[in-house]
Amino acid sequence: MIALWDSLPVLAQDIAVTLALLLPGVLLGAGVLRGFAPWPLVRAILWRFRGPSVLFVLLIALSVGMGIGLLAQERGLRQGTAQAADKFDLIVAAPGSELTAMFAAVFLQPSDMGLLSGDTYSAIAAHPSVTLAAPLAFGDSFGAASIVGTTADFVRHLSDERIEGRLWRTAEEAVVGALVPLEIGGRFAPSHGTGDAAEPDGHDGHESAVVGRMAPTGTPWDRAILVPVEAVWEVHGLANGHAPERAGQIGPPFDAAYFPGTPAVVLRAASLGASYGLRSEFTRDGETMAFFPGSVLAGLYRVMGDVRQAMSLMALVTQGLVAASVLLGLFILSRLFRRQIALLRALGAPRRFVFAVIWSFSAVLLLAGAAGGLLTGLGAAQLLSAAVTSRTGVAVAAGLGWTEIQFIAAFVSAGLALSLLPAALVLRQPVIEGLRA
Amino acid sequence: MADTEGCADREAGPSGGLALRVSGLTVRSPRGRVLLSLPSLELPGGTLLGVRGPSGAGKSTLLHALAGLSAVAEGTVRWGDTDLSRLDAEGRARFRADQIGMIFQDFLLFDELSAQDNAALPALFRPRAERAGLRARAAARLVGLGLSDTARSVASYSGGERQRVAIARALAAGAPVLLADEPTASLDRAAADRLIADLTGMARAAGTTLVAVSHDERLIARMDRVLTLADGAPVTGAQAA
Ligand SMILES: Nc1ncnc2c1ncn2[C@@H]1O[C@H](COP(=O)(O)OP(=O)(O)O)[C@@H](O)[C@H]1O
Ligand SMILES: [Mg+2]
Repeated sequence: MIALWDSLPVLAQDIAVTLALLLPGVLLGAGVLRGFAPWPLVRAILWRFRGPSVLFVLLIALSVGMGIGLLAQERGLRQGTAQAADKFDLIVAAPGSELTAMFAAVFLQPSDMGLLSGDTYSAIAAHPSVTLAAPLAFGDSFGAASIVGTTADFVRHLSDERIEGRLWRTAEEAVVGALVPLEIGGRFAPSHGTGDAAEPDGHDGHESAVVGRMAPTGTPWDRAILVPVEAVWEVHGLANGHAPERAGQIGPPFDAAYFPGTPAVVLRAASLGASYGLRSEFTRDGETMAFFPGSVLAGLYRVMGDVRQAMSLMALVTQGLVAASVLLGLFILSRLFRRQIALLRALGAPRRFVFAVIWSFSAVLLLAGAAGGLLTGLGAAQLLSAAVTSRTGVAVAAGLGWTEIQFIAAFVSAGLALSLLPAALVLRQPVIEGLRA
Repeated sequence: MADTEGCADREAGPSGGLALRVSGLTVRSPRGRVLLSLPSLELPGGTLLGVRGPSGAGKSTLLHALAGLSAVAEGTVRWGDTDLSRLDAEGRARFRADQIGMIFQDFLLFDELSAQDNAALPALFRPRAERAGLRARAAARLVGLGLSDTARSVASYSGGERQRVAIARALAAGAPVLLADEPTASLDRAAADRLIADLTGMARAAGTTLVAVSHDERLIARMDRVLTLADGAPVTGAQAA
């Protein structure tokens, strides 16, 4: 049985779980409505109580939407960040927090980090299984764009060689990310520091020209200006990584004696196995640490997963409370309707029919609310994603996933089952008092 | 005749509806107070019985008991071969659906539905096979009662028109018994007169057994027999006069 389940494609499993969650609601509906055609009456009741009905639908939509929005957003964030880390196979940095190093290198949120020396860099770059070893240099900005110093090879790798214009040839040329508001041929003067701490005249007189633009990557690098790492070093009055006799050289190899240090080196290896080898090789106490950003993110997701479970639980409790208040409201509404209910009984309607009418009424509200919640949730997730994307540059696509669909399916089934309650309560009202009312 | 005590015999109607035999009927309020005590009442099928009496006399209580709606009742109410007291609530509901049409003082229509849908309301819970026939009969009744444009919502109808929709609903199932509780009380004189003519005319034409509670002497005057109630008990002929 378990083997059979595991052998199914994931899509089939998702569909099966969704159907299983919906099934109780569908069976319930089929059982309650069997042999009856209550819709004209249900429509009449909905129309008579259109005000409260719309209110209930909005209430349900809002609470379902919150649940959906959180789920979709969380997944979108996970996918977006994983996608952003995709190009970063292995990172080597000075010992410290892997999270800090990852945020700096992958998400361009640098904080104070130790530096790797020229010798260390040379050892890494010279390793036979390393195919790319890009030093990074942070610290400057232009407007909202961080300026990152690196190598041309890394820019090629990051953009999958999709570059409009060309790569830099001198220290005064730059390639911009897809979202940087600079044209090819435009010029800019770097400010020292980033964000509010940036000093516009920090590097007087220095200017660079934009010679290329990367295609969009959906990562924070879309908002960065990439320059030769030599340029960043020079602007800060450091050695530029090359011996004086080769001062004009741009890119590797670097001369260890003239290497000012780098907070992080992004590595690519010939194979996955080689990556693991490099990681253990460059994890050296007191000297270097090497990590896969993907695993650091996975650890982060595990923590987020716990938070998500807590949030899901809260969302469920909220939903339960909303459902309970809606059911109570329905019951109160049906008190207003008790003359008509008594009339139905006086006309000989079976109890099950009256039950079906009241139940269908709540079912319509629930289904409409769930559908509205789906839209609300997707809308909210979209807004949140847009906000996250505009803040971090991580492209977060919060779409509809199976988790959300299953969440709604479970909500609908549970709601339909709970709706049996007010319907049963209504039936307990005495007929004659309803007729006299 | 002990079993027709309180009833003034007029003229016997054509027999097509169910005969009624009530004996030892006592209806109590949920708290146990006796609301109605009717030792005996017998009507041949097709009889038109008028029930009158002061407000609070137990007239509505009697109609509810005849319809099998009373929660607490002793004695027997027998329509034709069916003893209501031997049926459970669902059985009585089924009996009402099949055999009894009811009309109320304030019509009890669904304002949101059309005259046609109101008149065919029982089709919503009747077996699928009966629905089309019931709708057709309801439509025919509405036409027979002089109502046109029946696809319109009844919210825009006058009181007289609404009560005619209610009659069409009561008659649509072809019930052999019709119970009416002050059917003209909400109508103006002209509408009431028209309704009285329609109600009694249709009941007689179909041979329906009709029990109509009313303060309206013009309606009472059209009945075959009259039962006068006071304080939950029948009043003898001499007292009634
Ligand atoms: N559910 C009830 N509980 C207690 N008393 C009731 C109830 N229903 C009716 N009564 C009482 O029963 C008596 C008869 O009521 P009813 O049959 O409606 O009178 P009528 O229709 O002749 O005006 C009245 O005194 C009324 O107050
Ligand atoms: Mg009354």
